[in-house]
Amino acid sequence: MELNDLKSNWQNAGGASKSESDLQKMTKIAGSSAMQRLRKKLVIESIALLMFSLVYYDWFDGDKKPVYANVLLLSGVLLYILNDVIGYIAISNPISGLNLKLSIQNYLQRVRHLFMFSLIISVLYGISLLVFFSSVIHFTKEKGLLLAGLIATLSLMYFLSFRIWNSWLANLRRQAKDFESE
Amino acid sequence: MEKEFLETVHEHQKIIHKVCRLYRDTKEDQEDLLQEIVYQLWKSFPSFKGESKISSWIYRIALNTAMAVYRKRKLMVRNYETVPEPNHLTGENTISENEERLFWALRKLNDAERSVIALFLEEYSYPEIAAITGLSESNVGVRLNRIKTKLKIILNQ
Repeated sequence: MELNDLKSNWQNAGGASKSESDLQKMTKIAGSSAMQRLRKKLVIESIALLMFSLVYYDWFDGDKKPVYANVLLLSGVLLYILNDVIGYIAISNPISGLNLKLSIQNYLQRVRHLFMFSLIISVLYGISLLVFFSSVIHFTKEKGLLLAGLIATLSLMYFLSFRIWNSWLANLRRQAKDFESE
Repeated sequence: MEKEFLETVHEHQKIIHKVCRLYRDTKEDQEDLLQEIVYQLWKSFPSFKGESKISSWIYRIALNTAMAVYRKRKLMVRNYETVPEPNHLTGENTISENEERLFWALRKLNDAERSVIALFLEEYSYPEIAAITGLSESNVGVRLNRIKTKLKIILNQ
């Protein structure tokens, strides 16, 4: 294929057509299916955590735990929800520059900060749960094993989350590098 | 404003369809990206002040969205050694073999190269390509020469 053929093929492509009403529907649905799944996760997580913060005191004997454990748990839950909301807003706005190079660089920077913030909040949240549930426990061997299991589960979740973030960041880093002048 | 937006996007939607095929392999992913691009265009529309051509603005938002938007990583990387079966957004038009071959070849380039060559094939000038991509005009020229050579090799495979 010669250059002129490439040009004419490119210019003739994209023939599929959406009606104005189809396009109008697309302006009402917030983003791609991945973004919709993220939003659903955010809403479900936030509702579940808010419900938890309303009932934990009665269900899990909050009155028998030290004040610091209650404060820590509520702070952890609130920070986790805040992290979810900030993350969603940041991720759903990928366009933030006057050109592609700037926009990709800004987005990479934002996602990098978000990753660090999210990691710190998730660890704090995990610690707050561990402190709350183990604050007035007299440890036996079984309870110790249970705690170790909980820590192992949380660590695995952090590792999986880290891998997802890392792969996304690697992709953005590669794109930013592709735009650097050689 | 909504009416103006819908008319504008409807008129220029070929750009969006082409960007979707340029950056996504499967029909499902292309539809998904189309949805995201239209949504991002709608969100950015109030800030469009007419300082550039509307088609340049649509290209910039569409390319930016295709590159940066969050998506689940595919477990299987598709790296076609031969031209794949026609695979495109739904429409009445029949996609020619040459067109399919063009997109197959373009998808072998990296993300930045795809944006530069797309704008070049659309007959944008070097200063226009530089303004959209953020590269210098001389760098656009250098890259285009390299991309053309790459494409020649890919298409002659």
